Amino acid sequence: MPRKRKLRFEEIVERFAELKDTSELMIDLAYSSLLLNNKELAEEVQRLEEYVDKLHTEFELLVLSSGFKKEEAKGFLGLIRLGVVAEKIADAAAEIAEVVLRGIEPHLVLKLTIEEAEETIIYTPVAENSPLLNKTLREARIPEETGMWVLAIKREGKCIRPKPDLKIQVGDVLIASGYAEGTEDLKKLAAPQFPSMI
Amino acid sequence: MPNFEKIEYKPISVRELLLEMKNLSELMIDLAYSAALFNDKELAEEVLELEKRVDTLAYLLDMVVMVAARDAKDAEALVGVSTVASATDKISDAAADIAAIVTQNIGVHPIVSEIFERLLKRLIKVKVNKTSALVGKRISELKLAPRMGIDIIAIFRNKDWKINPEENEQISAEDVLIARGTPSGLKEFKELCEGRKETLED
Repeated sequence: MPRKRKLRFEEIVERFAELKDTSELMIDLAYSSLLLNNKELAEEVQRLEEYVDKLHTEFELLVLSSGFKKEEAKGFLGLIRLGVVAEKIADAAAEIAEVVLRGIEPHLVLKLTIEEAEETIIYTPVAENSPLLNKTLREARIPEETGMWVLAIKREGKCIRPKPDLKIQVGDVLIASGYAEGTEDLKKLAAPQFPSMI
Repeated sequence: MPNFEKIEYKPISVRELLLEMKNLSELMIDLAYSAALFNDKELAEEVLELEKRVDTLAYLLDMVVMVAARDAKDAEALVGVSTVASATDKISDAAADIAAIVTQNIGVHPIVSEIFERLLKRLIKVKVNKTSALVGKRISELKLAPRMGIDIIAIFRNKDWKINPEENEQISAEDVLIARGTPSGLKEFKELCEGRKETLED
C-alpha cells in the first residue's frame, strides 16, 4: 500500500479511537455523576457529548473523502457503522447524566448498583502522607499500581479532568473507575494511615 | 422472525436487575469490539444472544418499577432508575450493532483492524501456550484484577466461546482468551499466556 494511503488510514483510525475512548469515558463519568449526585460531572458529560458529535462528523467526512476503491466499500461501511455506534454510546451516557441535571435525587438503588458492579467507581481523598502527593498523574502510575483509572479530580469544590502533568495535591478527591478488587489498593495509596476510616 | 421470550412479572429486586443490565452492557461493548477487531463471527453471535437477555431484563425491570411506585413521590424517585436502565439497554443495543457488522459479513477493512489493534490497548486476544504458567490454574487463583488490573471476558475452547467465565474455571493449553484492562497489565498477561514470563508477581 502506498505510504500516503497508509497515513490516511492511520488518521481515520486514530479519529475513531478517540471517538470510542471518549464515549466509554463518558459512561464512567455519567455513572460517577450519579454516584456523587454531582452536576459538574454531569455537565462535563454533556460537553463531551457535543464534542463527540463534532468528532463523529469529522470522522465521517474523513472516511467518505478517503477515495476508497469500489471493492473496499464494505470495509469502509463497517468503519462508518462503528462511528455511529460510538455516538450512540455517547448519547446513552448523556441520558444517564441528564438524570442528575434534571434535579432528580439519584435513588439509593442506583448508588448501590454502581458500587456493586463488576466495574465500579470510587472516590477517595488524598491525605497528607500519601505517596501520590506532589506527583503528576503520569508519575503516580495509578493504573499500573491499582488497576484503577482516574476519571476526574475534585479540587476546591471544582471537578477537573485529569491531564498527565497534573500534580496531585492534599485534599484532592480522586474519582476513579476499575474493578472492585482495585478499590482498596487505591484507597490505601491515597490515604495510607487510615484505610479503615474511609 | 426472531423468537421472543415470553415476559411474565417476576418479583426480582430492581437492584439485581439493574446490576445485571449494567454489567452486561459494559461487557457487551468490549466483546463486540473484540468480535469486530478479531473478525470473529461466533463471538459476535454471543453478543447478539446477550442483547436478547438485556432486552428481557429491561421488560422485567420496567414492570418491577411500575409495581413499586405507589404515589407521585415514588414515581419521582424511581424515574431516574428507569432512565438509567433504558440507557444500559441502549448501550447493549449499540454493542449488538457492532456485532451485526461482523455477522452480516460487512466487517471492517483489514488495515483498519491492524491499526486498531495497535491503538486499542485495553483489549487483547491471546492463545495459551502449553508451556504457560497459567495452564491448569483457576481464574480465581490468578488474582488478575488486583495483580494486573485486568479481567478475562471470554474463553474460546473446543470451538465454543465461554462468555464471562466463572472464577473457578481452569485455564487449559490452547485456550484462546480475550482480556480487558490496563495496557501494562495486558502486556504482562500476554507474556504469561505465551510462556515468555514464568511467574506471577504481586
